Amino acid sequence: MIDKKMLENYAEKLMFRMKDDELDTLESEFDTILKQMKLIENIKGIEKVDPMTFPFITYEAKLRSDLESSDSLSVDEVVSNTKHVVKDQIKVPKVVE
Amino acid sequence: MEYKKSTIENLREALDNNEVTGEELFNEAKKLAEESQKDINAFVTILDKYKSRPKKKGILTDIPYSLKDNFSTTGILTTASSNILKNYVPVYDATVYKKLKDAGAVLVGKTVLDELAMGGTGTTGHTGVVLNPWDKTRLIGGSSAGSCASVAAGIVPFSIGSDTGDSVRKPASYGGVVGFKPTYGRISRYGLFAFASSLDHVALLTRSVKDAAIVTNVLKGEDPLDMTSLKDDGLDYTLNLDKSIKGKKFFYIKEACTFDKKSDILESTLNEFNKLLDKIRSLGATVDEVSIDKDLLNAIYPSYMVISCAEATSNNSNLTGIPFGNRIDGSTYEEIMFNTRTEGFSELIKRRFVIGSYVLQKENQDKLFLNACRVRRMIVDKMHELFKTYDALIMPASGGIAPKLGEASDVLSDEYLILENHMAIGNFGGFPSITLPYGFVNSMPIGVNITSNILKDSELLNIAKQIEDLLGYIGQVAGDKNV
Repeated sequence: MIDKKMLENYAEKLMFRMKDDELDTLESEFDTILKQMKLIENIKGIEKVDPMTFPFITYEAKLRSDLESSDSLSVDEVVSNTKHVVKDQIKVPKVVE
Repeated sequence: MEYKKSTIENLREALDNNEVTGEELFNEAKKLAEESQKDINAFVTILDKYKSRPKKKGILTDIPYSLKDNFSTTGILTTASSNILKNYVPVYDATVYKKLKDAGAVLVGKTVLDELAMGGTGTTGHTGVVLNPWDKTRLIGGSSAGSCASVAAGIVPFSIGSDTGDSVRKPASYGGVVGFKPTYGRISRYGLFAFASSLDHVALLTRSVKDAAIVTNVLKGEDPLDMTSLKDDGLDYTLNLDKSIKGKKFFYIKEACTFDKKSDILESTLNEFNKLLDKIRSLGATVDEVSIDKDLLNAIYPSYMVISCAEATSNNSNLTGIPFGNRIDGSTYEEIMFNTRTEGFSELIKRRFVIGSYVLQKENQDKLFLNACRVRRMIVDKMHELFKTYDALIMPASGGIAPKLGEASDVLSDEYLILENHMAIGNFGGFPSITLPYGFVNSMPIGVNITSNILKDSELLNIAKQIEDLLGYIGQVAGDKNV
């Protein structure tokens, strides 16, 4: 069973807050979600199947070599999407008091 | 030449004959985009200036197009239609955008999507609802809503979208255009904001099958920046579009097309589908009805939800507001993240993330997440078995026409669970899959979806072209008469 407290806790783990009425909507939505998910359990012989996490096996996958040169961003580019910049670094509140 | 109804092929001819310039085409597209905003709201950003600097002139040089706003474009606002990225200006190019720039294609605008591509209605973008150019009281579908609307309205001849469950192929059906998702990895995903990486595909919308082949030719190929990208197959897809489909074997899924109770719209859609199958048979192809375990089919949609929400929860954990995004201040870095994510995500997205978190909890992982991955394997194995006998699966892309705004579905019905969501099979197995217009119901377009085995992109495009020739819906735009 799902209750609001559990949902609040999941939201907390995901680092956002949900309003009371949003949690109400989600709680009632879970009724349907759980009914739909029950359909997954109905499949005969599912326990013998290996989970599939990728569409198909590719026999050749290249990893980039550590020494391979690749374009990297300039400091100006890195900090261009935040207003909170001090001496080429992104500023956050003090972590250690 | 009537710009709005022109395919890429038509525009190329006009450009090569000096009947029109690239700048004139851009200005026309820009004007149409701006005029359409109040009616259909397809764009987050419309670009000001014509820009074409091809590395080498080619078929797409000077052809206008639109790009879904979840592809990274240096110096151009890219929001993923979410408040959390409403001020984000990327500093790198997605591979598809780079390839199109190098080909000299001209970007007209970035298009609205369902927030972070997580939705199928086109109603959840932070700049508002995208409406269907065929009937502005109806949805166009999503998540590639603006991309589809911009092609269906005749603003651009092609658009690039992304498809995780059916996000290009379903709107294509509602908009009366072609939506093509090639084999997983055929087109690099580098620079596409990840929703569910094991299901995400770059896909495209056009007004003809040949145009889909033209654009895929330019975009396909291995990319060192995407380790899941496939080696180029070396084929020119436009050169294999004229082969007869005599002797080809198709199948459709009985359980997805057989219902005890049918609405008028569903009945008309299935009638049109059956007429289409007869026409295909008249070309010398066979079409069989194949039965698949209904319990397995009913589990496709819930499995899709479980897998996609779980992957999305993880993929979007980088949206903290600290290095980029719409930071909302706080007294600690954790508080900044909490405030940014609380303000930045809409309620719907938060609900999806919570579902993702729920299925990944230790106590639920085997029962929900891993079982969903097992369903995925079972359905994909079944498809591979059928593709030993058949060349393609052919199905209605939807059980009907674009829904009215606010129209709700019975989300536990067979019609919803199977007929409205079967196209996720294409994402589960990475199969190439295409939707094309095949008729009208209540003066709204309907689409047929065809799916082949992996790597058979060229064969699939040929099949689609033969069916398109049979039906004649080439260069169709909203407002065209019910043919």
